[in-house]
Amino acid sequence: MFRLNFKIALRNLWKNKGYAFINIAGLSVAMASCILIFIFIRYQLSYDDFENKDRIYRVVSNWDTGSSTEGSQGVPVPLVSAVRAKFPQLEKVAAIKRVGGIIKVADLSGKTNFKEETEVFYAEPELFAIFKLKWLTEMPSAALQEPNTVALSRKKAVLYFGTWTSAVGKIIRFKDKMGLKVSGVFDDIPDNSSYPFNLMVSYATNPNKNDGNWSYVSSASECYILLKKGVRPADLEAGMKKFSAQVYKKEEHTYHSIQALSDVHYNDHYGNFAHDIMEKKDIYGLSVIGVFLLLTACINFINLATAQAIGRSKEVGIRKVMGSDRKQLVVQFLGETLAISIIAMLFACALTEVALPYMQHLFDEKISFSLFSHPVIFVFLITLVLLVSFLAGFYPALIMSGFSPALAIKNKLTASNTGGLGLRKILVVVQFTVTVVLVISTLVVMNQMSYMRQKPLGYHPDAVSLVTLPGDSLSQLKAANLKERLLLIPGVKNISFCKDGPSSYNVYETEFSLNGLKNKDFQVRIMYADERYFDVFGLKMVAGKPLAKSDTVNGYVVNETFLTKLNITDPETALGKLLDMNGSKAPIVGVTKDFNDLSLREKISPIAIASGKDDYYSIAIKMESRQMMPAMKAVEALWNTAFPDHVYDSKFINNEISGYYSTEKVMGVLFRTFSMVIIFIAFTGLFGLISFVAAQRTREVAIRKVLGASTLELVQLLNGSFLLMVFIANLIAWPLAYVFVGKWLDGYAYRITLGIWPFAIAMLISMGITLITVSLRSYKAAQTNPVDALKYE
Amino acid sequence: MIKLENIEKYYANKGLKSYILRHVSTTIQQGEFVSIMGPSGAGKSTLLNILGMLEEPTYGTYEFMGEDVTSLNERKRIELYRNHIGFVFQAYHLIDEMTVAENIEAPLLYKKIAAAERKSRVADMLDRFNIVGKKDLFPNQLSGGQQQLVGIARALAAQPSIILADEPTGNLQSAQALQIMELFKKLNEEEGITIIQVTHSEINAGYGSRILHLLDGVIKEDLQVAL
Repeated sequence: MFRLNFKIALRNLWKNKGYAFINIAGLSVAMASCILIFIFIRYQLSYDDFENKDRIYRVVSNWDTGSSTEGSQGVPVPLVSAVRAKFPQLEKVAAIKRVGGIIKVADLSGKTNFKEETEVFYAEPELFAIFKLKWLTEMPSAALQEPNTVALSRKKAVLYFGTWTSAVGKIIRFKDKMGLKVSGVFDDIPDNSSYPFNLMVSYATNPNKNDGNWSYVSSASECYILLKKGVRPADLEAGMKKFSAQVYKKEEHTYHSIQALSDVHYNDHYGNFAHDIMEKKDIYGLSVIGVFLLLTACINFINLATAQAIGRSKEVGIRKVMGSDRKQLVVQFLGETLAISIIAMLFACALTEVALPYMQHLFDEKISFSLFSHPVIFVFLITLVLLVSFLAGFYPALIMSGFSPALAIKNKLTASNTGGLGLRKILVVVQFTVTVVLVISTLVVMNQMSYMRQKPLGYHPDAVSLVTLPGDSLSQLKAANLKERLLLIPGVKNISFCKDGPSSYNVYETEFSLNGLKNKDFQVRIMYADERYFDVFGLKMVAGKPLAKSDTVNGYVVNETFLTKLNITDPETALGKLLDMNGSKAPIVGVTKDFNDLSLREKISPIAIASGKDDYYSIAIKMESRQMMPAMKAVEALWNTAFPDHVYDSKFINNEISGYYSTEKVMGVLFRTFSMVIIFIAFTGLFGLISFVAAQRTREVAIRKVLGASTLELVQLLNGSFLLMVFIANLIAWPLAYVFVGKWLDGYAYRITLGIWPFAIAMLISMGITLITVSLRSYKAAQTNPVDALKYE
Repeated sequence: MIKLENIEKYYANKGLKSYILRHVSTTIQQGEFVSIMGPSGAGKSTLLNILGMLEEPTYGTYEFMGEDVTSLNERKRIELYRNHIGFVFQAYHLIDEMTVAENIEAPLLYKKIAAAERKSRVADMLDRFNIVGKKDLFPNQLSGGQQQLVGIARALAAQPSIILADEPTGNLQSAQALQIMELFKKLNEEEGITIIQVTHSEINAGYGSRILHLLDGVIKEDLQVAL
């Protein structure tokens, strides 16, 4: 029976090649999208899969600022030992601190033959009991306690010494001062990890290990804990609250809490070592899109299958009088759907393979996504096939198996017996609602992105490059000389020493007092730069002058927002007022026009700019845009001769800024791709449906034609209901899309205003394509010779 | 074998009853070959549908093999279809996607007959109707008469005790029609299969043993055909 039914299914597919193609194409594209989304989400959810991961937590810091809570992944250094003493329910407590610096590896003769700027971690031995690494050598338990030892990951060991086996016992130099002896080698941490552990230096080496300052929190100093078995995190959380109350004064508004390891990759509030966060809401958003795509394809299937049902009614009738019961028919039709789903799945797998490299590129992941690397993907594929077969096949199967044999055999079934056009219409409306919402969202996302690209930031970021400036005292001595020589390079227009570019997340916020009066309402972001900064970035002054040449703070330039926040309307009156922050008191010498100091998601903050040689980490180089490439080469060469012990790094301000919007870029591509996909699915489905309606109404059309209807009138007749459906879908989609994109745009301080245009364009697109799709088919129907249609069947 | 008592069928339309069948009572014995005749709209097909349990009468009782089947649940009805009733249609109604052999095999699948047995029965049928050479053809590759042969072969494959035929020769040329009627007669006489057919043709009716004349839903005449 199965074999025969299978054969019949295939023959049926072959007979209705066109519809089969629409079904399979729609399903496979939707399935491929779902598979891609699933592979991506599976990867994202696979982060930080350490042994005991359920019991690993991190202590984090929080500050109540009244309206909101600020959070940091870091903790004060003395917290670690205090927690260790106060919480017996913790099995292990470990401090870890991240620092950056230059690693040098010397050969036997003592000559440096490799150097790189990299991150290292100072880690307490307990950390290795919390995070179980795979050691290639024996775990160097004793050495982890001693100062000046380092454990390397396999890839670093290979990079430094050729093979990992030859690394043990060798010395590497860190920051020129420290010689670190390699005590062991562990296997590389996988890419799906928030912990890029490569160089693990013993905590005893950390020069700040005995810092006792409770009021200083660096995001680089973290504290990890391993709960004893059976300890409830909620109890521990309560304990942390109590502990914080003992340590901090009430007006400090500071408290510590614990964050589960399983939250570290997904929580934007705290951040992590890998700077790699995928918020859960993005994951949910993607899944929802996947579900919608699948739903649209299933709706196609249902529509086409029920429309086709009349063609198979005879078979159903005959099978029934031959003794088939309804269950067998349902099974038969579900089986057919299953066959189609399986075929679609095969195509989907092929499509996925083609699309994977693009996705990898899009998400900038180093790892390779693969269809067959994880058994759970197989489970997903099978579930997907079954789910689609059921969703798409069950309703048509129910309808078809329910045909009355007496009517079916006599060809007396009408559209109303096939579940009615009503349900099909509703499904089409649903389908197009989803489509229109996605199209509107795409238009808005693209608009916002081009707005962000084009919005003037208040300074000139073009053709400016930031080059690292070493901060040690020897380098500082060389810096002045370097500046002169850099200016001589052809193509270099101007140079400024500064902490960072104007739009930067690398800026401290600090309290201040003005004319001796302490300000309690807000903090000011303090940027350090020399006198040429204003020129290099083209910052405009609204009052006073830019900074004068100086190595230390001798005056502040503030921005307009700073004054607005202080209710000073006339910038001239602010000049000369004494600003006191971080222990440096100096007058306000100038007021600059507002510029965007963060991404466009955030509002412009109050800013003060001051000189401060010790805080210059970058050289901002303004270049002639035509000579950028040769100029940069010359800069690099010069830099390397000036700082042979350091590692050169440069970045263009423009790239830096566009890096702030990488999420938006990914979103834009995703939305564009998925709207194309959904438009494709929806309109192929529509084409299929109009074909059936046209075929069904052939007689009616012929009769009307004989009665004198023109081709145009007939096309209108056939098109009318479809245009109405798509119109209704638009009406439903508009408010949904409005709420959805409105919420998304709320995340931006600088955003486009939501006008009627994206909605109107989406409507125009959907109605336009509908008109074309439908007219193609209905024109053909209206053109047929009535004699053919009216012949006795 | 079949006992109809006071069968009525009407459609109520705005309180107005339009009768299709009125007071139809008759008994058909095992082994009879009955032709139902009458002008268009007399209710022949409706009567046959009721006999085939494709429609339910509005009133009256219908006993099939001693069992009241007036309103039968689906499972019981399917049992009867599988084991006792074979249908032959005017428009043949072969399944277009199946070959000749597969069409004949189809009812056997529902009877859950083993594969070997199915094969031999299908071969037997093909042999008997002289269509072995056509077993792999699809219905649309056959002439009308050949299609009807396959339709009858399909009905017989399940070894029914009764065949219900709705104008089996209605779409056929007279020579082919003759052939089909000869076949029915043979089946009736040699295998004792009860046959009830609806027909317009006096000639066809002549092959049977009994004729029911229907007019406006009433049996006007119940004739035994002289042999």
